[in-house]
Amino acid sequence: MATLKISNLSKTYANGVKALDDISIELSNGMFGLLGPNGAGKSSLMRTLATLQEADSGTAFLDEIDIFKNPTELRKVLGYLPQEFGVYPQITAYQLLDHVAILKGISNKKERKALVEHLLQKVNLFAKRHQKVKGFSGGMKQRVGIAQALIGNPKLIIVDEPTAGLDPGERNRFHNLLADVAEDVIIILSTHIVDDVTELCSNMAIMNIGKMVYQGTPQNVISELNGKVWQKIIERNEIGQYKKEHTVISDKMVAGKPLIHVLSDSNPGSGFESIAPGLEDVFFSKISTPAEVIA
Amino acid sequence: MFKEFFIKEVGSALMRPMIYIFMFLMALASALMVIFGESIGGSSNVYLNAPFTITRLVATLSLIALLVSTAFFNTAALRDYKYNFSEILFSTPIHKMGYFFGRFTAALVLSTIPLCGIYIGYFIGAELGPLTGEITADRIGPFYAETVINSYLLFILPNMFFAGAIIFAMATKWKNTIISFLGTLAIIVTYSISGTFLSDIDNETIAGLSDMFGIRAFSTDTKYFTPNDKNTIGATFSGILLMNRLVWITIGFAILFLSYFSFSFIAKNKKVKKQKPEDESNVVAAISSVIKATPLFNSATSFAQFSSFYKLNFYSIVKSTLFKILFVVCAILLISNLWGGFDYMGLQSYPVTYKMMGTVNGISAFFVLIILVFFSGELVWRDRDSNIHEVIDATPHNSTISLLAKTLSLICVGTILNLFFIGGAILYQLFNGYTKIELGLYIQDFLYTAFPMYIIWSCIFVFVQIIINNKYLGYFVSILLLFLLDLLFLILEVETSMLSIGGGPSYKYSDMNGFGSALTGSNWFNLYWILFGLLLLSLSGLIWVRGVTFGFKNKMKSAKKHLTPTYTFVLSIVTFLFVATASFVFYNTQILNTYKTSDETEKGQIKYEKDYKKYESIAQPKITDVKYAIDIYPSIQKLLAKSAMIIQNQTDQTIDSLHYTIDSEWNMKIYLKDAELVFEDKDLGYLIYKLNKPLAPNERRALIVESSYSSVGFENGRGNTSVAQNGTFINNLSILPSFGYNSQYELSDKNDRKKNDLPAKLRMPELQNTCNKGCNVNYLSNGMSDWVNVETIISTSSDQLAIAPGSLLKEWKEDDRNYYNYKVDHKSQNFFNFMSARYEVDRKKWNGIDIEVYYDKAHSYNIDKMSAAIEKSLKYYTENFGPYFHKQARIVEFPRYATFAQAFPGTMPYSESFGFITNLEDSTDNNVIDAVVSHEMAHQWWAHQVVGAKMQGATMFSESFAEYSSLMVMKKEVNNDPMQMRKFLKYDYDRYLKGRSRESKKEMPLYKVENQQYIHYGKGSVILYALQDYIGEKKVNNAMKNFLAEFRYAKPPYPSSLDFLRHLEAEVPDSLNYLINDWFKEITLYDYRLMEANYTEMPNGKYEISMDIEAYKLKADTIGKETNVAINDWADIGVFADADEKELMFYKRVQFNEEKMNFTFEVDSIPAKATIDPRRILIERNIKDNVKSISEKE
Repeated sequence: MATLKISNLSKTYANGVKALDDISIELSNGMFGLLGPNGAGKSSLMRTLATLQEADSGTAFLDEIDIFKNPTELRKVLGYLPQEFGVYPQITAYQLLDHVAILKGISNKKERKALVEHLLQKVNLFAKRHQKVKGFSGGMKQRVGIAQALIGNPKLIIVDEPTAGLDPGERNRFHNLLADVAEDVIIILSTHIVDDVTELCSNMAIMNIGKMVYQGTPQNVISELNGKVWQKIIERNEIGQYKKEHTVISDKMVAGKPLIHVLSDSNPGSGFESIAPGLEDVFFSKISTPAEVIA
Repeated sequence: MFKEFFIKEVGSALMRPMIYIFMFLMALASALMVIFGESIGGSSNVYLNAPFTITRLVATLSLIALLVSTAFFNTAALRDYKYNFSEILFSTPIHKMGYFFGRFTAALVLSTIPLCGIYIGYFIGAELGPLTGEITADRIGPFYAETVINSYLLFILPNMFFAGAIIFAMATKWKNTIISFLGTLAIIVTYSISGTFLSDIDNETIAGLSDMFGIRAFSTDTKYFTPNDKNTIGATFSGILLMNRLVWITIGFAILFLSYFSFSFIAKNKKVKKQKPEDESNVVAAISSVIKATPLFNSATSFAQFSSFYKLNFYSIVKSTLFKILFVVCAILLISNLWGGFDYMGLQSYPVTYKMMGTVNGISAFFVLIILVFFSGELVWRDRDSNIHEVIDATPHNSTISLLAKTLSLICVGTILNLFFIGGAILYQLFNGYTKIELGLYIQDFLYTAFPMYIIWSCIFVFVQIIINNKYLGYFVSILLLFLLDLLFLILEVETSMLSIGGGPSYKYSDMNGFGSALTGSNWFNLYWILFGLLLLSLSGLIWVRGVTFGFKNKMKSAKKHLTPTYTFVLSIVTFLFVATASFVFYNTQILNTYKTSDETEKGQIKYEKDYKKYESIAQPKITDVKYAIDIYPSIQKLLAKSAMIIQNQTDQTIDSLHYTIDSEWNMKIYLKDAELVFEDKDLGYLIYKLNKPLAPNERRALIVESSYSSVGFENGRGNTSVAQNGTFINNLSILPSFGYNSQYELSDKNDRKKNDLPAKLRMPELQNTCNKGCNVNYLSNGMSDWVNVETIISTSSDQLAIAPGSLLKEWKEDDRNYYNYKVDHKSQNFFNFMSARYEVDRKKWNGIDIEVYYDKAHSYNIDKMSAAIEKSLKYYTENFGPYFHKQARIVEFPRYATFAQAFPGTMPYSESFGFITNLEDSTDNNVIDAVVSHEMAHQWWAHQVVGAKMQGATMFSESFAEYSSLMVMKKEVNNDPMQMRKFLKYDYDRYLKGRSRESKKEMPLYKVENQQYIHYGKGSVILYALQDYIGEKKVNNAMKNFLAEFRYAKPPYPSSLDFLRHLEAEVPDSLNYLINDWFKEITLYDYRLMEANYTEMPNGKYEISMDIEAYKLKADTIGKETNVAINDWADIGVFADADEKELMFYKRVQFNEEKMNFTFEVDSIPAKATIDPRRILIERNIKDNVKSISEKE
């Protein structure tokens, strides 16, 4: 059982943006979802944990390994799939995985070949292993990405926004892959797609403006809102009005008309109906600034 | 629309610092040039800010500015594509014309701005220079607005326009920075190809026209510019330059319009490869068993990582289209470099391996390194550019491993290109029928020179990219380091090679002496620089940014973390090795073998003059007899010399002290009986001995000098090459001290003298009509001796043969060494050579004289021609000038460390690099061997039988006479074929006119020549040749013969040029007496212009030729300022049968006494061309206007 312990991690960029603001968290095996809007500091946190960025203060330990003092040791047990990644032109899927495998210390040729082929089969790219990665679709490329992250028995796997831009089928396949390995390792999955977390994660956190605004299991957080979420379909020109009078946590269009969710301990009346809260409601309620919520 | 794009583009560039940085650098470079008194193509007579000088620098720097313009034009063309803005922009209603030309014009204007920094630099330099005290105020001349305007319009604007048109067109077409880089490269290659035309002076016009930068056109137009011209005229809208500019601007416009019309806003449909539908079977079901591959981290892992990185990097380059194109470019470059062959005075050398190596190394040191600069950026930024860096950076590999792999890839790229060049060179040799292929030698040379250079620079380029952390800025810094660092050291007078990246002694391969002793030093320096490179690389590994760390502080933080114990260990080992090697190199080059920087030398010269000039005229004895004992130890490069002399007081005063200046390199010891060393300046080597018993007039005494040279360790430079393992060549002046004060050690540059408050120095004492004391010293021995008896015992190793002047009396073996005893048969100048090598000997005899050629067995091509040339010379000279006093005439080959032939009594050393390897199979070509050998043979009369008093004009009757004599031997050989003679003469003619253009003091008339080579060789031979044409060969020879008879081997006083003119005047008819004044005593130039030439058919079937001619006669002063004088001179006019001027149909001598004249004469058939002075025997700066095609009179 591996443990990742992050304490008081902070990072401020040169332009004054606080990317990480005193973040502390403790994780063990299983899939951990990190939810947050764009710019919440998810990628900063991921990069920092992947030894690709310096933190200003704070510590992070993976079991005994001090990630910041000894990045090389962490890299030996790390699988990392960055938010965006390209590939060298001219290189095939097999060549790429083979290269990464070597870098991750799989020096035995036979073992490496078996491993790379196994992974290619696992991500269902075996038939295309000698094609250039450059020509792959987004989903195929992401699968290559996860395959490389799985190389070398990692204890910690970090995947940053892996499903952005994937079609539903690709997304499903990708989830299956992750779920497959999640038992033995810590997987941190950052995403802004609420369903990713609902479907996969036993533990989660919500980040906003560099801060952890919530941490726990999806069930717990959802139960916090039981009976407090109400919805109503309104006219488009009424949105402003409703936003003034209620704590609107989300609005989306349904058949051309806005469907709003509001947060309220009691029935706000006038056509609102109570609904069972979803993670999405939690997400929106957590990331709205208090001021907005009050307004 | 044009305006918007133009203003936007210019405005945005002006907001960024790049343009100002470049401009500042240009200004700095030019200001420094002025302040430190440097200039391209200038001399002490030319102002540091002369129009010519400024124009020259502008033209040259426009080549470097190419880099800048590439950036501007590429950005302008690709801006919208780079930021993916093109689709938005092109969907708006903009006009193609405004867009295209707006952007182009903006980039053009921007590109020219940095170069304008040169003008600012000159302006500042001219103001600041004199204030700094580095230069004197009279080095600065007036500033002409015309210089700025003309050089801007003739160089900066058209050059940037043309280069811009190509780069802009390529960028627009392919939308790829790499292709734009190729465009730049293509321009550089074409430029260097055009330079290969320069190898022969007949091709100057082609070279001038084909150079798109106009640099060579300007050089050709101004090649005969006098210092005065350079000070007043810059580039003008005329000549080849104007034609060149018109040609290239037209081509530029053509390219631009072509590009414009093929440019379209609509994006090309990219080829879309069909994706095969994906296999939709269940992903997870495939294989469920987990493969356990265990990561393992040990040295084998590191190696595997290294080799995986290497493969990826190396193949990415080798497989790229760019690399394939580069191969083609390389092939073109190689072919163009070899196309002209190895030309020397219109003749080809055999393509011996060292010549080929020279070509290959020339290309690789420039071109391959530029390619490596480019790929260094590509490789270092490859992960980032491909956006895979986060994946790779998060894997557990050491950054140094990745960097090492990148560096090795670069080295391999260089190596492949270099081996390709070597292959091409070998093919070239075979193609030319040269079958002595020395593959091993090529490889050795590669391993000693190019390979270490690739290692060193690859490390440095990678380091630069990492420390600068910006690809393009990295390129710029790399280029600066590559080309401008050494320039900076030159200006700052830093001379140790330990600071000049990749520096060290460069060996010169010689077929005789192999790589020579410089190889040891070169190898140590290479090791030193390679370790330096590795050290930088190890540091790069630490500061290499993994992930997205910004800022210096974070970099240091991350570096600290990566400094593991192993890393520290490796780093300390590399540091230790580097420091150890550096110390060893430092010990050898700065302590064991010291050298004087030019600054130290200059200070020494000044002190020498200030302290000891007072002794210049004190009476000293002269040498009358010498016995040299020379022991040469070739394998350890050691030479011991003992010179036992008899000195005699030939003055009428008693001499009580003897003064010597000794050379520390030769470790001289002086032995004098009954004398005391009363003064010793160890630093400058000035010694004064007091004689216990003074030397009375005519009294003789013994003097023994021991000198030795032995090579220890290695040196900063190539070191002493005169004592070699095979091919030792020294002359006696190096092993003897100077007697008394030696004015040759004085600082000679007139501006340096002025700066150091030394009085102006005469190059030679003034020519005097009646001379007393001055004529007792000849210019060769500088007062040390007159005619001396010399005997030599010389020994060398058992496998070599040693030579000294004179007849070989005896040879024997002793202690497994070869000994030889030579004695000169006639009293001679005390000017001797001592040589030793493994020689083959060719022996012939002519009228009892031994003709011998000592040569290396690799160079047997022209030995017969050499001995034949000696024979021809002996024949002509004994018939026309007088007897030969030696019993032998020898030619002795020596290694190519110097390229000359020289005459010692009866013995002529001749460099291996010319003559011995010249291809003379085609007998219709110039026979250079005849020319050189008969010149050196002529010295056996002119210099060795009669020598001039040490004053102006002395070298006229050694060098000019030797050159004339040689021309006469050749004239006989070609049966006075006028066109063949014109071919010989053109080199002399060119040498004179080019030489006077670079004169740094005063151009003197021939009879007052001050050892100025362009005058005594160039002008002297043209004038004496013309003279014999005007008054007859016999008459000139008579004058020379009588002059020789009067002074042959005569005791002082020595003759002056006036003595010769006295003999000459007796031979010249009154009608031509003006020639002595015009040609010998003044500087006279002619300017004939053929205005009109036509023919009319005569009733008798013949053709009447009519020529309208303008004729001017000019007198020039010492800096080339010309004044018109009345003409009343004879010159030839004539007609050629063919346009190639091969067949001179008819010519006659006519008198010109008016500025505009018409001449008519009859010929039998229609000629092709009419010309004035068809045989080119008169000195004219512009001969192009002497010729015209003939047409029928209307």
